[in-house]
This record gives sequence, C-alpha cells and structure tokens, in this order.
Amino acid sequence: MSDSAKPLPPEDAANRPFWDGAKRRVLMLQCCLDCGRHRLPAARYCARCRGERSEWVATSGAGVVESFCTFHKAYWPGFEREVPYAVVQVRLDEGVRLFSNLVDVPRDRIKSGMRVRAHFDAVTPEVTLVKFVQESK
Amino acid sequence: MPNKDLAGRVAVAGVGTTRYGKLPEHDAYDLGVWALKEALADCGLGFDDIDGLIVNRIPDYQRFGEITGLNPRYTTITPGQGRFSGICIQTAAAVIAAGMAETVALVYGNNGRSAGDHYGGASDAYGSGGAGLWFPYGMTSPGAFHALMMRRHMEQYGTTPAQLGAVAMAFRKHASLNPDAVMRTPFTLEEYLAARFICEPLRLLDYCLINDGGVAMILTTAERARDLRKPPVYLRGFAQASEFAGSTFPPDDFWRRPIQSVAAEVYPMAGVGPADMDALMIYDNFTPTVLFSLEGFGFCPVGESGPWVADGKLQLGGALPTNTSGGHLSESYMQGWALNVEAVRQLRGECGARQVAGAELIQYVTAAPVITSMIYGKDAR
Repeated sequence: MSDSAKPLPPEDAANRPFWDGAKRRVLMLQCCLDCGRHRLPAARYCARCRGERSEWVATSGAGVVESFCTFHKAYWPGFEREVPYAVVQVRLDEGVRLFSNLVDVPRDRIKSGMRVRAHFDAVTPEVTLVKFVQESK
Repeated sequence: MPNKDLAGRVAVAGVGTTRYGKLPEHDAYDLGVWALKEALADCGLGFDDIDGLIVNRIPDYQRFGEITGLNPRYTTITPGQGRFSGICIQTAAAVIAAGMAETVALVYGNNGRSAGDHYGGASDAYGSGGAGLWFPYGMTSPGAFHALMMRRHMEQYGTTPAQLGAVAMAFRKHASLNPDAVMRTPFTLEEYLAARFICEPLRLLDYCLINDGGVAMILTTAERARDLRKPPVYLRGFAQASEFAGSTFPPDDFWRRPIQSVAAEVYPMAGVGPADMDALMIYDNFTPTVLFSLEGFGFCPVGESGPWVADGKLQLGGALPTNTSGGHLSESYMQGWALNVEAVRQLRGECGARQVAGAELIQYVTAAPVITSMIYGKDAR
C-alpha cells in the first residue's frame, strides 16, 4: 500500500541492511563481533565494549511489547485518516528495542507484556516496514 | 560530588525575564538582550561588569557578543534543549569557582512560537537525533516518548489520569496568581479529563506551552553579590548525572538511577534534605516528569507519586508548593530558565499573590537524559 504522504525511512547507508532485510522478510540487526551485543540503529562502535567489528545477523523477530501510546494528532498528512493509531515499543529477545505498529490488534486489545513477532509490510515497491503481530498462543 | 566547599560560594545576583507569548518583532537574540537588560537592572550592574557569557538557544555566541558589545573572558554556547538550563547554571558556578570569570551572564532567547517550531513531525530530533528511523510508523515527538513512559507507570503502579490532572490543575492555579503567565484560567478535573488527547495517555493539558520569550541570570561570587542591589540567592548545592546509553528509547526506571545519583550529591553538598525544601521547581515539559522527579528525589516513595500529588500537596499552601509560577505547563515553556528565576524570586519574597511565606530553601530539578538539580538558599549555609 503506497502512501506518499507518510514519511519513508531516511536514506541512510548505515541502516541499509536493516531495510534490505525487511524486504526479504527478515529482521536483521547489527551484532558486535567482539562482545556479541546486538544493536539498532546502526553505529560504527559497540556501546558496550566499544569494539569496531560487527556484522548484520538475521533474528527470529520475536519480542515483547514494553509499552504503547496512541496518537490522536497526525504529524504527517498520511496519518490523518488513521488517527487514533497506536505505536508500540517492542523489546526483541535479542535486547534491542524498536518503535513500530501492531497489525490486526485493535487498540483496546494492546497490552504491555504481549508477545509479538515481526510482520513485514511492503509499503512501496522499494520499502518494507517491520511491524509486529501478536504471537499465536 | 562537586567540591562541598563551593556550597554557598556562588550566588544569583540578578534575574530578568521578558514578556512571554507571541513576540514576532523579536528574534532569539533580541529576546536574550531584553532579558539581560532586565537582569542587569535587577542587580544594578552594567554590561561592562560581565566577564563570562553563557548563551543558550540563541543561535550564535559571537553574534550575541557583537550586538551587545561584550568581550567576556569566558564564553560558551549550548543547544536549545531544556536540560541545558541546569547544565549552564552549574557550568557558570564552576567557571566562577575556578576564577575564569567573576560575573557570568546566562542568556536564553527563544522565539520558537513565532518561528513555528515543532517538536513532532519532520523536524523532530528528540531521542539522540535518531528519530527519523521511526517516522514511517508514525512515531514522533517528545510527548509520545513521555506517553510511553507514563503508560508503563500507570500499568506498574496504578497511576491514574486524574492524578496527572492534579499536577496540571495545581500549576494552572499558580499561574492564575502570576501576571506573567500565558495561561491563567484555572480548570476543573472534569475539564482536564475532557481535554483532547494528543498522544494517549497524555492530553493537551499535560503538555507545556511553546512561546516566545527570554530569560537571563547574573551569577557571581557570594562576596560580590552581597554588595549588589538585591539580596543574594546562594547556590547551596548542585549536581548532575546522565543516562545516554540506549536513550533513543524510554528508560526502564523513569530515570530513577541517575536521579538518585544526583540526589546523593546535591543534598549532602547543601547540607539539607528533601524535607527541608520550602518549594520545588520541577522541569515540567509534560506532567509525567513531575511524578518521576518526585519519586527519584525521594519526596515520595517509588510508585506512589500519583496518590501523593492527588491531595493538593503541590499547591500553594500544600506540603510542597511546586512550580509556583505555573511552570512550563501554564506560565510558559522557557526550558527550565524561568523556573530557576522563580526560585530566586520566591527566596527574595518578590512573588506577590503566589509568594511562599518565609521561603528559605528551594530546589530545582530536571528529569531527562541529563538530570540536573540545584538547591538555592536565602542563606549561604
């Protein structure tokens, strides 16, 4: 579903592997080759061990909702038809956090602590967003 | 801990504020100069007495010095984020203590309202500048960041919207007594709850007020301040901590760990404790930070700030009058600066209808990725 009035991810070479992964329906994270810590957004150095060696690795895309908020104000024209919409704060099992949206969960059913897994939403032919669905029990 | 010997050695000699509101005839420099002239008149000093300059939010220090004809011995400039008001004041104290300057002018100019500044949308840079990555999901604004924190506080501790409303109502009531405040009409809990959501669980009345305005402070040595026009207000304690690691996302603990580290320094330096404060000035960009600050500094037990604020403790006449000017929520979002000025004016007894009778000790706190606190006293120790 293309919607040009919604912002697309910034052109950013450092985070490119994340978005390329999403297009292949894989949640990719940068991982420190020195201490094994995962990170996103991308950075040259690891914030824990300050090591410079890293690689991008595929993850299971599983995580938990830590919190959520509901936007009643649209900051971009493309969201005007969607308000009120929820943004979730997800902590992946690898410890990395993301802000995202839940697919197919009504706002009043979102709960912190809910297990979720990555869902890939191709918003344009070039861009796929990493959203989440509730983990089936 | 900052050197305990510095407690009470630096004082606020002068404070100055512009009008707040929509002031399109003034840019940030003009607002800074206006406030600085007020602060100099307040203490009876002139531009030639200033030998240190710290500018905040004003775009360029050199231009500011050029238009005011200032050639200070010490100069620095800081970004227009509210956490920097506390950082600047502490830097001024250190600069004065080190003898790098004797009389430091701290100047803040904010033309954000006329310039059409937005804290959400394409220009949002909150959260260590990485905000753009989340725009496609509709995630933006410091308000949303605090809404996410508040949701967790509500889930963990049972804090309610009505308790947040008590914070907003108390500050508006104070603003009704402050002729300089932008929003002065008190509201009821029903009106608070009827206000539209911006980013749920936060409503319009949980958000600070973007306006134009300027604030200036003149800090100098205690000795020099005693010879000036107004009674000195002494900087009894100051401390700072930060939480940058992972700070694109809300902290797990509502910044409790760094707040507690500031508390562990600022009270011993001042030789007093939270129970000694006659009033409190809390950086209220949004109502939740008031709760996080109260818990972190130990004014109430962890998790109990909601019920604690609900019975009027923050109001004038209550146990701990807080943001007696109306704060960012109702006076104007002057990014901490005007709250520090309010502390000074309260300690001098200049606050008219909103005066805290006999105020001797007032604490300023900011809960943000940089935590700062200052304890101001009517007496040096």
